[in-house]
Amino acid sequence: MDSILSVQHVTKRYAEHKALDDLSLEVPRGSVYGLLGPNGAGKTTLLRVINRITIPDSGCVLLDGKPLTDKEIFSIGYMPEERGLYKKMRVGDQAIFYARLKGLERREAERRLREWFERLDIKDWWSRSVEDLSKGMAQKVQFITTVLHEPRLLIFDEPFSGFDPINANLLKEEILRLRDRGATIIFSTHNMASVEEICDHITLINHSRNILSGPVDTIRRSARSNNFEITIDKGIDTLAAQLEPLATITTPPREVADGHHIATIHIAEDEAIPTVITRLAEHCSLRSIRELIPTMNDIFIRAVDGTL
Amino acid sequence: MRKIGLIIEREFSERVRKKSFIITTLLMPILMIGMMLAPSLVMLYSGTELREIVVVDKSGTIAPRLSSSEEVLFIAQNDLSKEEACSTYNAESSISAVLYIAADVATTGDVQLITNTPSSPVLNDLIASQIESIIERDKLLERYDIADLDTMLRDVETEITINTFENNGTGDEESMEAISSEINYILGLLFGVLLYMIIILYGQMVLTSVVEEKASRVLDVMVTSCSPFELMMGKILGIASVALTQIAIWALLILGASRFLVPTLFSSDVVAANDIMMEGIVGTLGDVGYMSSLILYLALYILGGFLLYASLYAAAGSAVDSVQDGQQFNTVIMAPIMLSLFAMMAVVNDPNSPIVVWASIIPLTSPIVMMARIPFGIAGWEIALSLTLLYLSFVFTTWLAAKIYRIGIFMHGKRPSWRELASWLRIK
Repeated sequence: MDSILSVQHVTKRYAEHKALDDLSLEVPRGSVYGLLGPNGAGKTTLLRVINRITIPDSGCVLLDGKPLTDKEIFSIGYMPEERGLYKKMRVGDQAIFYARLKGLERREAERRLREWFERLDIKDWWSRSVEDLSKGMAQKVQFITTVLHEPRLLIFDEPFSGFDPINANLLKEEILRLRDRGATIIFSTHNMASVEEICDHITLINHSRNILSGPVDTIRRSARSNNFEITIDKGIDTLAAQLEPLATITTPPREVADGHHIATIHIAEDEAIPTVITRLAEHCSLRSIRELIPTMNDIFIRAVDGTL
Repeated sequence: MRKIGLIIEREFSERVRKKSFIITTLLMPILMIGMMLAPSLVMLYSGTELREIVVVDKSGTIAPRLSSSEEVLFIAQNDLSKEEACSTYNAESSISAVLYIAADVATTGDVQLITNTPSSPVLNDLIASQIESIIERDKLLERYDIADLDTMLRDVETEITINTFENNGTGDEESMEAISSEINYILGLLFGVLLYMIIILYGQMVLTSVVEEKASRVLDVMVTSCSPFELMMGKILGIASVALTQIAIWALLILGASRFLVPTLFSSDVVAANDIMMEGIVGTLGDVGYMSSLILYLALYILGGFLLYASLYAAAGSAVDSVQDGQQFNTVIMAPIMLSLFAMMAVVNDPNSPIVVWASIIPLTSPIVMMARIPFGIAGWEIALSLTLLYLSFVFTTWLAAKIYRIGIFMHGKRPSWRELASWLRIK
């Protein structure tokens, strides 16, 4: 795997607790990488270690296989969870200042900003003071200032918190667009829906440790348990007998509409799936069958509980 | 360097646009003029109140000869005892004091002033000098038997005024500049206080601003864009540029006044030809070249003094999470500033006393103290030495502050102890 960023055996202790415990992960180039975990798991600390805001007690972070230099750190786009904007500044001035600090010329910065403000529908805010913005509004501005210099590595800490669903969607689209233009994106979240929609890879952090890492599809498939949802029209009462001994009913049938019934069944062996489908078609006039792949939410809860 | 420039630019343009900047820039000169005028105003309005003093003169010879004035009215009540006078003319009465003169005052000098309203050194001096001259005159008469003593004394009475000039090598009264030590005194005090105010005002501004950046997490974004040193220097120099702008505006006002206002207000017709002190004051204030050189020194000391203290304030700000937490460090930084203020008071009494000379050369106290000395005319090498040491120590404190700053800004929670701060200095 071609990884752009490699975190190797990072440990960070604070006086009271370990924030990161021998944590390693590899971020594939050009991916959207999600860091998941309950509150206080160590996600923010990890992001701060990657940015070198926090110095780890042991372990290291490599960019393209080499230790990070100042120049590379300064080219990363980082959006902290507590939005770091000067309260008294005007939105436009603030954005231009950050952009120039990242190396853009004033004219170029302003051109790109006008474009972004237009696209995110916030061009009326240009002359407003930062302190007059709501949390979500400030976050939009912060997002733009983070991505404006088109860095190849972007780091967002809880980018969706504080957004309504419409704006959260807007942000997801922008993140995917940035990935398509070649950026690698790492973000932390506890919003599982966002993970399924946009993440290619995830790492699940719990109690300061990496407890699960990999491509989202692989993780979901490996966590599946051969449960299927079926919709049938008849033979409701004899369903259990028909399935015997290949499968068992996990949720009994219930009528949804027009004589359609939905049930979930567990098929013990993969080889038995065609037989089960044939039987259901013959005896219960099967209308649909769908494998229940666990959602990231289920995986998250089970992983944290230790039942995965 | 480009990033420091950007940070300076931001600090500058954000701060000079603030209302508070515009207000202090306009208000400070008014405040300063007020401070200069205040003493004379106080004298003008407090001197007119008449004090009535009951005199119980047991010697019997002094009371009749005490002369009352606009400020004091002496009322002789020699028949009363001291106790009776005190109980009759107590705080309820309109009398402000009872003056008790003992019978044997000529030998013991025993005079008591029992006051109902606070006395003042001026009043005490006035009474004492009157009684002294009465007794001295009596003694002269009594012991030396001089017939027309009063005529003789009046005949020899002399009053001296000292006119100070700057030596230009000729000793020619017409060509030499008249110097007023009063104006040097006032200018010295003014410059000292100005420096004190600028250092405190702008130094605290650095502390507050660092703490705010830390609290709002702006720092997290900033340090992923530039180094902590660039951030600190940018902030300090940015705020310094604001301070210098303010001084420049004031300097223009002062020089404008020096060039146009002073000559108009005090044209040679107005200043009586024989009033050399007034001539000295006008000469100093109206001398554009001299005022410019003072302002140049002022700018150098303000910049040096500010930079020296600002780096300490930046370090203090980086180590704490709130301005309140910064108070402990603030007190320590304030100590040498307060010390300078005391030394400055000593300057006006004797601008060349050893303690004052040292205080004006040693950094930390030198900006305020030297600036108070300069109007009195100080040797060039002393100023050069003082400035060199000041700017060298700025380099040192900046180096020190940068070491604390780059650790401090990432520390949240408990305020660090002095020991911890010291340990940060050792981190490479």
